[in-house]
Order: sequence, then structure tokens, then C-alpha cells
Amino acid sequence: MSVSRLATIAVCPQLLARACSGEGAARQALYAQLAPATLSLIRRMVGQRALAEDLFQDTMMIFYERLGQYRHEAPLGAWLHQIAVSRCLMYLRSPWKRARLCLEPVDGGVAAEVAALVTPGYGGELIDLERALASLAPTARAIVWMYEVEGYSHPEIALAFGRSVSFSKSQLARAHARLRMLLEPEVQPPSCLI
Amino acid sequence: MSDLNSRSAELAKLLRSLPQEAAAPYGYQEFERRAHERARHARGLAGGERLAAACVLGAVLLAVLVRLGAPGGAARLPATGAAALVRTAPGPEDETLPPHAGLAERWLASLPEEPAIVHVGTRAAVLGLEDRIAQIDDLLGAAGDNGDALARLATLRQERARLVGTLVQVRYAEVLADGSL
Repeated sequence: MSVSRLATIAVCPQLLARACSGEGAARQALYAQLAPATLSLIRRMVGQRALAEDLFQDTMMIFYERLGQYRHEAPLGAWLHQIAVSRCLMYLRSPWKRARLCLEPVDGGVAAEVAALVTPGYGGELIDLERALASLAPTARAIVWMYEVEGYSHPEIALAFGRSVSFSKSQLARAHARLRMLLEPEVQPPSCLI
Repeated sequence: MSDLNSRSAELAKLLRSLPQEAAAPYGYQEFERRAHERARHARGLAGGERLAAACVLGAVLLAVLVRLGAPGGAARLPATGAAALVRTAPGPEDETLPPHAGLAERWLASLPEEPAIVHVGTRAAVLGLEDRIAQIDDLLGAAGDNGDALARLATLRQERARLVGTLVQVRYAEVLADGSL
């Protein structure tokens, strides 16, 4: 099973204890350690950069507010991962915000979004995949990412979105078909897929 | 089918190979600054919400008071037309009666028999007032026959004048609302 990078991040217990006691330097070190993976996860889930930064800010604020409640039952990264995913899902589930997300044009277009995610040493294939992923609908993209990378099962995704398991499966199948179509233009989509 | 599965597996592998770390958009200091700003904004919003709730509550209370007829509500009617006559003119029968009571009675008599239904409560109020005036008229007639004390007669006349005044105000408001003045 695939596990998100963020969920595997382990933090030194002493650093965590100092951060819990409110020490600024420790909190800053935690931020440096956890922020990149957190932002990346949120960007994969919601797509838009400005929106992702908003949700990232929310997530980190909640993380620091609740740090004292962390019970060491799972790695700290996994705990933060849960907060980030639940913030993204809350946004994606809201009908008003979902409509806004679909209507608003992506700042600077897909190319700019992809360019922002590109890191040095990126292969052309991955750039194409980023571009294809960015062109998916918000819900479909989130489901693809949750299933393929974060390791969620279909029942878990269905529960998270408050929909049926077949919704999750059909969204994933359509998203796969679209991604394949974008990555391999010679592949025609099956007639039943819109 | 197996081809489709293998391509899906390949796609999944490719997705997992995407980088899972992006440079943080800003440093910890900027994060702290934004957090403080949001907290301040949230407090401002909460204050605004409390103010809006207080305004709504005040408006509701005012509406309830107006609807139920707050103390002195009747006296707030404009002192014009027949209502002014009842309040200001001296009466012919008793010095304690409000002025121009006879004129008010005549004005009332000139109005249609059935009150216009301005809203649900008007008809009931008019009929109730007319009933009470009729009762007092009976009492006054009986008091005259029995030779009751002058003080009781004066009280009954004052009460009658008060009721007539109220009735005039209701009918006057009715007429105003009806648009016939």
C-alpha cells in the first residue's frame, strides 16, 4: 500500500516537547520540517495555488492550536496529514465552494500551475502528468490522489465525500481514462465515458 | 482488459513518483503574522455578528411592542381630524368630559355601519369598543333612574368619553388606511 510522504515524517520527541511548550524556535523547526510536504499534499488535492495556500495556512494554524492534544498514537506527520486532508475535503464537499472552484479560472492557466510544481530534474513525462492532473475536475483529482498516492480505499473515499463506493470507483475510472487520453493522445476514450 | 489494468498500474506508479514536497510559500515568521491577522479578523467578524444579532433582536422587540400596542401607543396617533376633536374640544354634558364629544359622536355616526376590515384585529376592536359603550349607556340610563351619586355618574361619563375617544382613533386610523380621507 502506498503511503504519503507527509504521513511518514517523524519528528524528534525533544523538539516536539519544546514546540508543545510554546518555544518559538522549536515551532519554527517543526514548520520547516512539515510545511513542504503539507503544502504539496494540499496542492495535489485542490489544484489552485492561491486556494492551496489558504488551506495550508488554515491547516498549520489548526496544527499549532491542537499540538497540545497530540497523543503520540501515530507519527506527527500522519496526524498533520489527517488535518490537511480533512480541511481539503471540507472545502471540496461544500457545494458553494465547489461551484466557485469550477467557475473560477486557474490563475495563469494550467501551465503556470504546473510550472510552480516542477522541481529541477523533472522529466518530460512527469511534467505531462502534472499538466494532465491539473486539468482534472477538483473532485476527480482529489480522488485519484487519495486512492493512488495516499492509499485510501474506495469505501474510505466514499465515506470522506459522503457518497457511494460506486461514485468513488466511477470517478477514478473516468479520471484514469482522461489521464491516459491526455498522456497518450492516440488512445481514444471508451464510448461510455464522457 | 489486462492491458487496461497494466496501463492503470503504470499510471498509478507514475503518480506516486511525482514529488511530494513543494517549497513552503512563506517562512515561519510570515505564517505567524498571517495567523495573527486572521485571528484579529475573526475577532472583528465575531464582534460584527454580535452587533448584527443585537440589531435584529432590537428590531424584533420593537415590532412586537408596536404589534401588541405598547403603553401610550394609541396616544401616538397624529392629533389631526376626528381624533384631535375628541382630545381637545370641551363636552356639552359634563365639564369633565373631553371637548367636542358630541362632534366626535356625530362624526362616528356618519361613518358606515360596518367597519372596514383594514387588518384582522380592527373589526374585533371596533365591535368590542361599541359593546362597552353600549353597556355604559345602559348603566348611565339605570343610574339616572335610580338617582345614584353624582360621582358615579361622572365616572361613567368619563369612561364613556374615553371609550368613544378610543373608538374614534381606531375608526380614524381605519379611514386613513382605507385612503378615503
